[in-house]
Amino acid sequence: MKTYSESELITALRQRDADAFAFLFENYSDRIYRLAAGLLGDEMAAEGVVQESFMRLFERLDQFEGRSKISTWLYRVAYNAAIDQLRKRRPIISLDLEVEDEDLPQPVILIDWQHVPERLLTEAEIKTELDRAIAELPEKYRVVFILREIEGLSTKEASAITGMSTNLVKVRLHRARLILREKLAESLIQYA
Amino acid sequence: MTCEQLLQYLSEYIDQNLDEELTVAAQEHLATCQNCRVVLDTTQQTIFLFREQGKQTIPAGRRQKLFNQLQATFLQSKQKPESQ
Repeated sequence: MKTYSESELITALRQRDADAFAFLFENYSDRIYRLAAGLLGDEMAAEGVVQESFMRLFERLDQFEGRSKISTWLYRVAYNAAIDQLRKRRPIISLDLEVEDEDLPQPVILIDWQHVPERLLTEAEIKTELDRAIAELPEKYRVVFILREIEGLSTKEASAITGMSTNLVKVRLHRARLILREKLAESLIQYA
Repeated sequence: MTCEQLLQYLSEYIDQNLDEELTVAAQEHLATCQNCRVVLDTTQQTIFLFREQGKQTIPAGRRQKLFNQLQATFLQSKQKPESQ
Protein backbone atom coordinates (compact mmCIF):
# COMPACT_ATOMS: atom_id res chain seq x y z
CA MET A 1 0.00 0.00 0.00
CA LYS A 2 1.19 3.48 -0.86
CA THR A 3 2.22 5.52 2.19
CA TYR A 4 1.70 9.22 2.83
CA SER A 5 2.96 11.91 5.15
CA GLU A 6 0.23 13.86 6.97
CA SER A 7 0.29 16.76 4.51
CA GLU A 8 0.46 14.46 1.47
CA LEU A 9 -2.50 12.52 2.81
CA ILE A 10 -4.65 15.61 3.27
CA THR A 11 -3.78 16.86 -0.22
CA ALA A 12 -4.56 13.47 -1.78
CA LEU A 13 -7.82 13.15 0.17
CA ARG A 14 -8.92 16.58 -1.04
CA GLN A 15 -8.41 15.28 -4.58
CA ARG A 16 -10.59 12.25 -3.68
CA ASP A 17 -7.71 9.86 -4.30
CA ALA A 18 -8.87 6.25 -3.73
CA ASP A 19 -5.44 5.08 -2.52
CA ALA A 20 -5.38 7.88 0.04
CA PHE A 21 -8.76 6.79 1.35
CA ALA A 22 -7.55 3.17 1.61
CA PHE A 23 -4.49 4.36 3.56
CA LEU A 24 -6.65 6.49 5.85
CA PHE A 25 -9.07 3.65 6.56
CA GLU A 26 -6.31 1.08 7.06
CA ASN A 27 -4.42 3.26 9.51
CA TYR A 28 -7.19 4.82 11.55
CA SER A 29 -10.42 2.79 11.47
CA ASP A 30 -9.41 0.15 14.02
CA ARG A 31 -7.89 2.75 16.33
CA ILE A 32 -11.02 4.84 16.66
CA TYR A 33 -13.14 1.67 16.71
CA ARG A 34 -11.26 0.44 19.81
CA LEU A 35 -11.82 3.73 21.60
CA ALA A 36 -15.54 3.77 20.74
CA ALA A 37 -16.05 0.06 21.50
CA GLY A 38 -14.21 0.48 24.80
CA LEU A 39 -16.42 3.38 25.82
CA LEU A 40 -19.73 2.05 24.50
CA GLY A 41 -19.27 -1.69 25.04
CA ASP A 42 -21.18 -2.23 21.82
CA GLU A 43 -19.52 -3.26 18.54
CA MET A 44 -22.29 -2.07 16.24
CA ALA A 45 -22.52 1.31 17.95
CA ALA A 46 -18.71 1.58 17.71
CA GLU A 47 -18.86 0.96 13.95
CA GLY A 48 -21.42 3.76 13.76
CA VAL A 49 -18.96 6.04 15.50
CA VAL A 50 -16.21 5.08 13.03
CA GLN A 51 -18.54 5.85 10.14
CA GLU A 52 -19.61 9.19 11.64
CA SER A 53 -16.01 10.20 12.36
CA PHE A 54 -14.81 9.51 8.81
CA MET A 55 -17.82 11.31 7.33
CA ARG A 56 -17.06 14.34 9.49
CA LEU A 57 -13.47 14.28 8.23
CA PHE A 58 -14.63 14.15 4.60
CA GLU A 59 -16.88 17.16 5.22
CA ARG A 60 -14.07 19.11 6.85
CA LEU A 61 -11.23 18.22 4.48
CA ASP A 62 -11.15 21.62 2.88
CA GLN A 63 -10.95 23.37 6.25
CA PHE A 64 -8.48 20.94 7.81
CA GLU A 65 -5.46 23.06 8.64
CA GLY A 66 -3.22 20.43 10.14
CA ARG A 67 -3.01 22.12 13.55
CA SER A 68 -3.59 18.69 15.05
CA LYS A 69 -2.61 15.31 13.63
CA ILE A 70 -5.29 13.43 11.68
CA SER A 71 -5.22 10.71 14.33
CA THR A 72 -5.79 13.20 17.17
CA TRP A 73 -8.61 14.86 15.23
CA LEU A 74 -10.32 11.52 14.49
CA TYR A 75 -9.90 10.25 18.06
CA ARG A 76 -11.40 13.50 19.37
CA VAL A 77 -14.41 13.32 17.04
CA ALA A 78 -14.91 9.64 17.90
CA TYR A 79 -14.58 10.36 21.62
CA ASN A 80 -17.19 13.13 21.47
CA ALA A 81 -19.54 10.97 19.37
CA ALA A 82 -19.22 8.07 21.82
CA ILE A 83 -19.83 10.38 24.80
CA ASP A 84 -22.94 11.79 23.08
CA GLN A 85 -24.26 8.26 22.69
CA LEU A 86 -23.49 7.44 26.32
CA ARG A 87 -25.34 10.57 27.43
CA LYS A 88 -28.40 9.52 25.42
CA ARG A 89 -28.42 6.20 27.23
CA ARG A 90 -27.58 7.63 30.62
CA PRO A 91 -27.96 11.41 31.02
CA ILE A 92 -25.63 11.61 34.01
CA ILE A 93 -22.15 10.31 33.33
CA SER A 94 -19.19 11.61 35.20
CA LEU A 95 -16.45 12.91 32.91
CA ASP A 96 -15.77 16.02 34.91
CA LEU A 97 -12.55 17.84 34.26
CA GLU A 98 -11.91 18.67 37.90
CA VAL A 99 -8.79 17.39 39.59
CA GLU A 100 -9.42 14.27 41.63
CA ASP A 101 -9.38 14.84 45.34
CA GLU A 102 -10.45 11.40 46.51
CA ASP A 103 -8.04 9.01 48.16
CA LEU A 104 -6.15 6.58 45.91
CA PRO A 105 -7.72 3.13 45.48
CA GLN A 106 -5.96 0.96 48.05
CA PRO A 107 -4.62 -2.45 47.02
CA VAL A 108 -6.47 -5.12 48.99
CA ILE A 109 -5.48 -8.38 47.30
CA LEU A 110 -1.77 -8.86 47.83
CA ILE A 111 -1.35 -12.31 46.35
CA ASP A 112 1.08 -12.54 43.46
CA TRP A 113 -0.93 -13.69 40.44
CA GLN A 114 1.41 -12.34 37.77
CA HIS A 115 2.40 -15.78 36.44
CA VAL A 116 -1.10 -17.23 36.56
CA PRO A 117 -2.47 -16.22 33.17
CA GLU A 118 0.09 -17.92 30.94
CA ARG A 119 0.00 -21.12 32.94
CA LEU A 120 -3.64 -21.81 33.56
CA LEU A 121 -5.88 -19.68 31.43
CA THR A 122 -6.50 -19.80 27.71
CA GLU A 123 -6.13 -16.58 25.75
CA ALA A 124 -9.92 -16.39 25.43
CA GLU A 125 -10.40 -16.75 29.19
CA ILE A 126 -7.90 -13.98 29.88
CA LYS A 127 -9.62 -11.79 27.28
CA THR A 128 -12.97 -12.34 29.01
CA GLU A 129 -11.50 -11.27 32.36
CA LEU A 130 -9.86 -8.18 30.82
CA ASP A 131 -13.08 -7.16 29.06
CA ARG A 132 -15.06 -7.56 32.26
CA ALA A 133 -12.55 -5.56 34.29
CA ILE A 134 -12.34 -2.63 31.87
CA ALA A 135 -16.12 -2.53 31.35
CA GLU A 136 -16.55 -1.95 35.09
CA LEU A 137 -14.11 0.98 35.10
CA PRO A 138 -15.80 4.43 35.24
CA GLU A 139 -15.70 6.13 31.82
CA LYS A 140 -13.43 8.96 32.98
CA TYR A 141 -10.73 6.41 33.83
CA ARG A 142 -11.52 4.03 30.98
CA VAL A 143 -10.95 6.58 28.22
CA VAL A 144 -7.56 7.55 29.64
CA PHE A 145 -6.49 3.92 30.06
CA ILE A 146 -7.53 3.03 26.49
CA LEU A 147 -5.75 6.01 24.95
CA ARG A 148 -2.55 5.65 26.97
CA GLU A 149 -2.11 1.90 27.38
CA ILE A 150 -3.98 0.27 24.53
CA GLU A 151 -3.51 2.95 21.87
CA GLY A 152 -0.06 3.86 23.14
CA LEU A 153 -0.66 7.62 22.95
CA SER A 154 1.27 10.19 24.97
CA THR A 155 -0.17 12.05 27.94
CA LYS A 156 -0.26 15.18 25.78
CA GLU A 157 -2.21 13.46 22.99
CA ALA A 158 -4.70 11.96 25.47
CA SER A 159 -5.14 15.45 26.91
CA ALA A 160 -5.78 16.97 23.46
CA ILE A 161 -8.41 14.31 22.69
CA THR A 162 -10.33 14.42 25.96
CA GLY A 163 -9.90 18.05 27.01
CA MET A 164 -8.48 16.92 30.36
CA SER A 165 -5.31 18.61 31.58
CA THR A 166 -2.11 16.55 31.28
CA ASN A 167 -1.99 16.35 35.06
CA LEU A 168 -5.53 14.95 35.20
CA VAL A 169 -4.65 12.39 32.51
CA LYS A 170 -1.72 11.22 34.66
CA VAL A 171 -3.82 11.04 37.83
CA ARG A 172 -6.61 9.12 36.12
CA LEU A 173 -4.21 6.73 34.42
CA HIS A 174 -2.70 5.93 37.81
CA ARG A 175 -6.13 5.29 39.33
CA ALA A 176 -7.22 3.23 36.32
CA ARG A 177 -4.15 1.01 36.65
CA LEU A 178 -4.75 0.45 40.37
CA ILE A 179 -8.46 -0.27 39.92
CA LEU A 180 -7.82 -2.69 37.05
CA ARG A 181 -5.06 -4.42 39.00
CA GLU A 182 -7.49 -5.02 41.84
CA LYS A 183 -10.27 -6.24 39.56
CA LEU A 184 -7.94 -8.66 37.77
CA ALA A 185 -6.60 -9.82 41.13
CA GLU A 186 -10.15 -10.59 42.27
CA SER A 187 -10.80 -12.76 39.23
CA LEU A 188 -7.34 -14.33 38.76
CA ILE A 189 -6.40 -15.33 42.31
CA GLN A 190 -8.81 -18.21 42.04
CA TYR A 191 -6.25 -19.74 39.63
CA ALA A 192 -3.22 -18.96 41.80
CA MET B 1 9.69 5.79 51.65
CA THR B 2 6.47 4.42 53.13
CA CYS B 3 3.98 2.03 51.48
CA GLU B 4 1.57 4.94 51.08
CA GLN B 5 4.19 7.03 49.29
CA LEU B 6 5.20 4.09 47.11
CA LEU B 7 1.58 3.70 46.02
CA GLN B 8 1.38 7.39 45.24
CA TYR B 9 4.50 7.22 43.03
CA LEU B 10 3.85 3.78 41.56
CA SER B 11 2.82 4.86 38.06
CA GLU B 12 5.66 7.33 37.76
CA TYR B 13 8.05 4.62 38.94
CA ILE B 14 6.66 2.18 36.34
CA ASP B 15 6.91 4.84 33.62
CA GLN B 16 10.44 5.75 34.78
CA ASN B 17 9.42 9.36 35.32
CA LEU B 18 10.66 9.71 38.90
CA ASP B 19 13.80 11.68 39.65
CA GLU B 20 16.86 9.77 40.78
CA GLU B 21 16.39 10.40 44.48
CA LEU B 22 12.80 9.12 44.51
CA THR B 23 13.72 6.18 42.27
CA VAL B 24 16.39 5.06 44.74
CA ALA B 25 13.99 5.52 47.67
CA ALA B 26 11.35 3.45 45.86
CA GLN B 27 13.87 0.70 45.05
CA GLU B 28 15.01 0.58 48.66
CA HIS B 29 11.43 0.30 49.87
CA LEU B 30 10.61 -2.40 47.30
CA ALA B 31 13.67 -4.42 48.37
CA THR B 32 12.22 -4.79 51.86
CA CYS B 33 8.43 -4.73 51.32
CA GLN B 34 6.89 -7.88 49.88
CA ASN B 35 3.38 -6.37 49.64
CA CYS B 36 4.54 -3.38 47.61
CA ARG B 37 6.57 -5.69 45.35
CA VAL B 38 3.41 -7.70 44.68
CA VAL B 39 1.47 -4.51 43.91
CA LEU B 40 4.23 -3.36 41.53
CA ASP B 41 4.55 -6.72 39.77
CA THR B 42 0.81 -7.26 39.37
CA THR B 43 0.23 -3.68 38.20
CA GLN B 44 2.92 -4.16 35.55
CA GLN B 45 1.35 -7.47 34.58
CA THR B 46 -2.07 -5.78 34.33
CA ILE B 47 -0.64 -3.19 31.93
CA PHE B 48 1.16 -5.88 29.94
CA LEU B 49 -1.98 -8.01 29.55
CA PHE B 50 -4.09 -5.09 28.33
CA ARG B 51 -1.38 -3.99 25.89
CA GLU B 52 -1.08 -7.54 24.55
CA GLN B 53 -4.75 -8.47 24.40
CA GLY B 54 -6.43 -5.13 23.91
CA LYS B 55 -5.79 -4.75 20.20
CA GLN B 56 -9.36 -5.41 19.12
CA THR B 57 -10.15 -4.78 15.45
CA ILE B 58 -13.39 -4.36 13.52
CA PRO B 59 -14.63 -7.88 12.65
CA ALA B 60 -13.36 -8.72 9.13
CA GLY B 61 -16.67 -9.00 7.24
CA ARG B 62 -18.10 -5.85 8.73
CA ARG B 63 -14.80 -4.04 8.24
CA GLN B 64 -14.94 -4.68 4.49
CA LYS B 65 -18.57 -3.53 4.37
CA LEU B 66 -17.72 -0.35 6.26
CA PHE B 67 -14.75 0.24 3.95
CA ASN B 68 -16.96 -0.12 0.85
CA GLN B 69 -19.64 2.22 2.23
CA LEU B 70 -17.19 4.90 3.28
CA GLN B 71 -15.16 4.62 0.09
CA ALA B 72 -18.32 5.12 -2.02
CA THR B 73 -19.29 8.17 0.05
CA PHE B 74 -15.77 9.54 -0.13
CA LEU B 75 -15.40 9.15 -3.90
CA GLN B 76 -18.87 10.55 -4.60
CA SER B 77 -18.48 13.52 -2.29
CA LYS B 78 -17.86 16.55 -4.40
CA GLN B 79 -14.96 18.87 -3.79
CA LYS B 80 -16.08 22.38 -3.14
CA PRO B 81 -15.61 24.47 -6.28
CA GLU B 82 -12.64 26.84 -6.18
CA SER B 83 -13.73 30.27 -5.02
CA GLN B 84 -13.88 32.75 -7.85
